[in-house]
Amino acid sequence: MILRRLLPGLALALLAFLGAGLLGPGELVVLNNVVVLALFAVATNLLLGTTGLVSFGQACFYGVGGYTVAIAWYQHWAGFWVSACLAPFIGGFVAFLVGMLVLRSRRWFFALLTMAFSQLFFTIAQKAYDITQGDSGIFGAMVPDWMADPRGGSLFIVAVATISILLLWLIDRSPLGLTLRAIRDNQRRVAGLGVNTYAVQLLAFTLSGAFCAIAGVLTVVNQQAAYPGMLDWVQSGDPVLVSVIGGMYSFLGPVVGALIYQLGHDVIVRITTRWQLALGLVLLAVVLLFPDGLAGLFRAEAWQALANRVLRRRPA
Amino acid sequence: MCRERAGDGRPEPATTRGSGLRPMTLGGIIVQLLSGLTSAAILFLVAAGITLIFGAMRIINVAHGSFYMYGAYIMASALTLLPGQAGFWLRLLLAPALVGVLGAALEVLVLRRIYQREHLAQLLATFALFYILADLAQQIWGNQYRTVPVPPVLAGHTSILGHAFPLYSLFVIAIAVLTGLAVLVLLRVTMFGWSVRAAVEDPELLAATGVNVKRLSTLLFALGAVLAGIAGAVVAPLQAVTTGMDASILVAAFIVSILGGLGSVAGAAIGSVIIGVFQAFGVQLWPQWSSTFVYIAMILVLAFRPSGILGQAE
Repeated sequence: MILRRLLPGLALALLAFLGAGLLGPGELVVLNNVVVLALFAVATNLLLGTTGLVSFGQACFYGVGGYTVAIAWYQHWAGFWVSACLAPFIGGFVAFLVGMLVLRSRRWFFALLTMAFSQLFFTIAQKAYDITQGDSGIFGAMVPDWMADPRGGSLFIVAVATISILLLWLIDRSPLGLTLRAIRDNQRRVAGLGVNTYAVQLLAFTLSGAFCAIAGVLTVVNQQAAYPGMLDWVQSGDPVLVSVIGGMYSFLGPVVGALIYQLGHDVIVRITTRWQLALGLVLLAVVLLFPDGLAGLFRAEAWQALANRVLRRRPA
Repeated sequence: MCRERAGDGRPEPATTRGSGLRPMTLGGIIVQLLSGLTSAAILFLVAAGITLIFGAMRIINVAHGSFYMYGAYIMASALTLLPGQAGFWLRLLLAPALVGVLGAALEVLVLRRIYQREHLAQLLATFALFYILADLAQQIWGNQYRTVPVPPVLAGHTSILGHAFPLYSLFVIAIAVLTGLAVLVLLRVTMFGWSVRAAVEDPELLAATGVNVKRLSTLLFALGAVLAGIAGAVVAPLQAVTTGMDASILVAAFIVSILGGLGSVAGAAIGSVIIGVFQAFGVQLWPQWSSTFVYIAMILVLAFRPSGILGQAE
């Protein structure tokens, strides 16, 4: 039973490993981007889909993870393995502190506050020039030589992302995951059962932050750089979009979303330079035309409902 | 993905150029206070629109910073069309008016379709508008930054207890105060304001009394856009007009409106003054880190009042 549930994920992981082993250097970059974005989105979706918390500031922890490795290298504080292993703990700790404050508010307040914290870290990365190199970011050979090689790097990224997503799946299936869903559906009732919903949400926020930090580390492996843009609130939009595109109520939805998003991006930028315009228009069309999200795009009822609305018919 | 990001586009406090840390005499403190109020003025105009729209429609427009950027760009690009002193005043009217039309158009085309949706859909739809408007701005005005000269009448400095202070900054503060008062009168005295306040309480009942609530929403959204347009237009001579202005003012204005309490215009005024003054004195005390003071102020307030100073719990 558990094997059958794991099957689609394992198939995707196998495909990614095959890709990392066989693809040429050009395609490896695309694969890396997809895999990193997938992990970032699955980690964000632990809040978004599972807990019902719309965080628009996950780039904060993603960037903290990336900067942990980059700063440790640049300041000669620690080698790659030490800093990479520390990154999720630092990311999780930062998320814990931020979460303590932002989880006191709901809905719009929550989204805006996460955004503000993301911008705070963006500002710090810009201004702490001595540590972070400011706007230009930290570039250099901060990963082991075999990882700087495209094939080695890609295999490492796929391996770490697979393990991380597997861990997130276990969290999602655990009693914690079930409690989070229950809070999403009716927080008051869960609180009435004697659950400290604030603490449970804070735990989810911390875990999500830790895994976002791992995605940040993988970005550093992928790009050999950490820069303030990683922490920007606009960056926080990506994992949310990806989760919504792929379907935030299914565990692998964000993975599929990352694939669609990245490949769509690569196709569109080949045709036009106006990627933001294209993304904006597609996103707007999806939100306006498909109230159930893009996941509904693959369901017949969504199209039926759209046809009904366009033809101004009452739903059957 | 590649995005043009200019650094921190938040209006810098208008300190007199070239003066570093000066001893805190009374005049010095007043000048510092005034430069804080200058950035507060800009923040207030943007945040007031956000908070007005949230109060009535329960929606946050992520593209609100774009109205501000468009206001500044129109101010800069109409320079050749309407040059000189008279041109400045005409552009100061033109920019908010055009931005208001843009706001009304977006409300009719997009916003009114998502008032009833959950906040994730609202967030994504307005985030999409943010992307679209940012891209169009780049298409129309290019990547190069633009500058706008201060009109001769407002150029130069005035002396406050022996300390020079730019006249134009006083003008910006005056504009914000007058606009804020005008909005207050509009909301408190006119039929429009009466309807807006009624719409906050019960839009259905209001519609039953014969008020066109749809048109009211369009007007209110356009008003919010006009306020952001005014902010963009008056800030243009103070800083370089550039891409990325939209994203950076947005977060600052969000912070101000959350601090003051979402939905309260008076709260936005208080929040912007706190942030502006905090930042202005921060520049004096700890120049490198002054831009993080905004967030520290936010954290401090929210630790004690999660829904802001004048806000009601959601």
